[in-house]
Amino acid sequence: MKKFNLAKTEPARLAPQGKSNAIDRRQFLKAAAQATALIMAPQIVPSSVLGREGATPPSEKIILGAIGIGNRGTYDLTCFLHEPDLKFVAICDVKEGRRQAVKKMADNRYGNTDCAMYRDMRELLSREDIDAVLIATGPNWHATASILAANAGKDVYCEKPCTKNIAQSLALAETFRRTGRVFQAGTQRRSLPNFAFAIDLARRGKLGKLHTLHAHPGGLDTHMSGWLPAETEPPKEQVDWDLYLGPAAWRPFNAKLLDGFNFEKGGGLAGGGCLEWGSHCVDLCQLANDADGTAPIEYEPVGEELRARYANGVNLVMRNNGWAGLGSCPVKFEGETGWIETGDDGTFKVSSEDLLTGRKASIAGYPADFYVRDFLDCVKSRSQPRANAEAACYSHIACHAANIALYLGRKVKYDPIKNEFIGDEQANRMRSEALREPWRV
Amino acid sequence: MSIMTLTLRTLSQRIVLLSLLTVTLAAAPVAVYAAEGEPVPAAESAQKLVEVLQSNAPAAEKAIVCKKLAIYGGKDAVGSLAALLSNAELASWARIALEAIPDPDADAVLRQALGKLQGRLLVGAINSIGVRRDPKAVDGLVAKLNDADTDVVSAAAAALGRIGGDASAKALTQALTKVPAGARSAVAEGALRCAELALAGGQSKEAIALYDAVRQAELPKHKVLEGVRGAILARQSAGLPLLLEQLKSADKAQFNMGLRVARELPGREVTEALSAEIKQVAADKQVWLFLALADRADAAVMPAILQAAKSGPVKLRVAAVTALDRLGSTPAIPVLLEAAADNDLELARAAKNALGRLPGKEVDADLLGRLVSSSGKMRQALVEVAGQRRIPGSLPVIVKCSEDADAGVRLAAYATMGGMGGESEIDSLVKLFVKNDARKERAAIEKSLLAICGRCGAAATPGLAPMLKSEDSALRILALHALSSVGGHPALEAVKSALVDKDSAVEDEAVRTLSTWPNNWPEDNAVAEPLLALAKDGKSTAHQVLAVRGYLEYVAGDKNLKNDDKVTKIKEFMPLIQRAEEKKLALVTLGNIPAAASLELLGSFTTETALSEDAWAATVNLLRKEVPGVSADLKVKTLQSAVASAKEETTRKNAEKALKAIK
Repeated sequence: MKKFNLAKTEPARLAPQGKSNAIDRRQFLKAAAQATALIMAPQIVPSSVLGREGATPPSEKIILGAIGIGNRGTYDLTCFLHEPDLKFVAICDVKEGRRQAVKKMADNRYGNTDCAMYRDMRELLSREDIDAVLIATGPNWHATASILAANAGKDVYCEKPCTKNIAQSLALAETFRRTGRVFQAGTQRRSLPNFAFAIDLARRGKLGKLHTLHAHPGGLDTHMSGWLPAETEPPKEQVDWDLYLGPAAWRPFNAKLLDGFNFEKGGGLAGGGCLEWGSHCVDLCQLANDADGTAPIEYEPVGEELRARYANGVNLVMRNNGWAGLGSCPVKFEGETGWIETGDDGTFKVSSEDLLTGRKASIAGYPADFYVRDFLDCVKSRSQPRANAEAACYSHIACHAANIALYLGRKVKYDPIKNEFIGDEQANRMRSEALREPWRV
Repeated sequence: MSIMTLTLRTLSQRIVLLSLLTVTLAAAPVAVYAAEGEPVPAAESAQKLVEVLQSNAPAAEKAIVCKKLAIYGGKDAVGSLAALLSNAELASWARIALEAIPDPDADAVLRQALGKLQGRLLVGAINSIGVRRDPKAVDGLVAKLNDADTDVVSAAAAALGRIGGDASAKALTQALTKVPAGARSAVAEGALRCAELALAGGQSKEAIALYDAVRQAELPKHKVLEGVRGAILARQSAGLPLLLEQLKSADKAQFNMGLRVARELPGREVTEALSAEIKQVAADKQVWLFLALADRADAAVMPAILQAAKSGPVKLRVAAVTALDRLGSTPAIPVLLEAAADNDLELARAAKNALGRLPGKEVDADLLGRLVSSSGKMRQALVEVAGQRRIPGSLPVIVKCSEDADAGVRLAAYATMGGMGGESEIDSLVKLFVKNDARKERAAIEKSLLAICGRCGAAATPGLAPMLKSEDSALRILALHALSSVGGHPALEAVKSALVDKDSAVEDEAVRTLSTWPNNWPEDNAVAEPLLALAKDGKSTAHQVLAVRGYLEYVAGDKNLKNDDKVTKIKEFMPLIQRAEEKKLALVTLGNIPAAASLELLGSFTTETALSEDAWAATVNLLRKEVPGVSADLKVKTLQSAVASAKEETTRKNAEKALKAIK
């Protein structure tokens, strides 16, 4: 049972240093343990129990809207459209071309012209008939839009990276707890058989006592988006630049900045970096270490690696080299008696073949279907999806803290209870970044 | 370097690149950092940053300076940053620094901005006050609750919620009924945040008052329900009646919030009350409540769930069994086993899943004990679960089950032996194969044998080789299949020995086995030699065809062969290929080998009438890749020839696409 823990929502943790109120450690650890217990054994609920067999009456269908649908969003939306107990009704995008493309896709799917189009997500979110939203805007908007949606009473499936900094990560978890809404981060590898199997080995002690987790963040560089020379701004109906910028600090229109996938990824001076892939592979390490309610306490750039350490002594190594070639996004879990490595090709390398005994066929690639289904089941049951806001919060914090260490070029120590860096004003100032008016989280 | 995204790995890179950014963006670099090594001390650095803000530097440069001041700026930077709060382009950048600078002066300038700014810029300043949780700003923010601008009211309410305290609570409670409808949800959000702070500070009475004010206000339903959630949780076990009220409600949103809170509200008495409630709620809601109870992971819920798992509507039994998946332990085993042996397939599957996941060695011991003494469907279920759990010491019992009188038990035992068994089970499975004539059973036994052989690898070969000397042809064919699963040199030699057999069916199977030999190249590349021999002198056309296909697969797959060597091998092999079908296959293979020699060889076939179209298709496919040694000019000319000469429309279109990509 997840403990009632309103105290965890107190926002003082991110006030400027000297103002924070530490919460009770025992209370936190208990809550964190309970939160992870929920994730430890996700229910495998048969379809008939959840009313997914046979025709779903219109009144029982989940009504979905989508916000910011480009390449990845279109893939996600396709996964949603395959689900029989779902009806997609509205698209919001600041780009006209995307609005039209998604409307065409939806109308073709349903054989009508009903899909509504919006430029401003607040209009879509004000629709009372919409139960849930898919958010795939690009990282600049992910957290702000998710929080807006939750405050408007919607459940949210949001692509990753879900947040731009530590403050947004905490705000995300707090908001979804406060509103009682369902959140699923688009970190679908948690549901994929090969990663789930490796995590299961780690968590069930089949590798012996865990000591080192390895993640391939796909880049240990930190990034920031700049201010490019002004170009003629297109009409709002074509591209709404103001809404595109949204919570990002103002700058003039420049078409090169319209790449929502990378724009303001991570924000600040130390964004991007390990967020893009770390939100997957670090997230998997978090789960393997039963650490969904916490984050590593130390982060240090060493050579080409970023080395972190959890309070339970387990090491987390983010590195780009030395992998076994099992496809993108590999992870490796090492214990005292064995190790396992897996990646997107769905296969394994193991210390002993015995670890794989009875292993069933794997799925290559990283389909999101299972995650979408998990989300929709939780929309119905009000349970917590595999990558709920709490889990996503701390996976992202681990990545943000790593980025801060990379930017500062030195070791930083983090207190995942107070959610502040220990005795480190520079690092603490990088936990948060003001949003452009009028947006807030 | 991308203009938009800077890559800042090392400190020195960072220094250089930040300077470059300034150059790129503003064409007026300012030396903010030392040239190499560590940044200059923050105070000195900050002073230079402030000078940029005070200069006539372009807005782009000042913007980036604001970001740096968020890390390095102090009291001295506040005044220059405050001056930008009324600048529509730079206010958001200035607030990035002002929100981060710990000095109280930053609070002061934001408070002063309350009286100076309007519209969105005022909203921004208020939001920053909220982030900084400045208690001295409460009066100013309370005044803004009466502003004519709804966005300002909303921002002020949210900020007051973040700051908390009695004055904020009072103002927000009053505002819930007074502010325009457009700002009321934001006021409710502020009140909820304020309540959380009160609760965290031990003021549960004040928190409850705020939650009650929200749930009783005229608000959108989801906001009311957020108030209900808080009101229940803040009351702890005294909130139970309000929780039950939600669960009894016919309103879906209310019921759903009840389900959410049913997972959050702690206490054994709560669990017991919710367990009792299952019997009270409508049948279509029972399932959801079961799932919520399971999420509580509270042992007090077990009696109700065990009872539901035993009998009642199947849907509810399945839900209860699913719940036991989370909660169950040894006492749940009899109930789950009964369900696992049920005729309803979904119920049985759910129960077996649950049994497979119950934690604890004592569960293993209990199940093993039952397996020994069970029979019929129960035994079948236990065999499956033993396999799923890989229960230590269960394999000998499962091997015995493979000779059970019940066919269902036998089939389950074969499958489990395949999953758990090792070399020592090979002999048992072979004997079972000989003993059973039924096609279904033999197929199941073979599947298990292949699984074991695949896992054991070469260690399995000694156990399989004698089978090839058996008088039973079926057994010799089984051996070939099993050796194929093993792979490697000894297994290959054994299969080669079966190319001459007294039974032509065995010979056919030996050729088929070689033609699909496991392509763990280069370990298995020794298969090339017998395939080449078969392609030349195979006893029948079928043997030759299979050998040709197998050989082409070997050439394509062997990672030890260089691309040029692959092309040479295919060139030498082509004369041995009799049928057009395999020649076309060879062309496809060439089209996937990125080498200049491939292009040359393919070119020689574009003039052969029977192969021309396939040669062009393979050529186009090849030229869509990077091909070392083939110039862009040659690519273009060849593709243009394909457009002009190919008759297949798809080939022409692909060629046009490739041309377009080159251009």
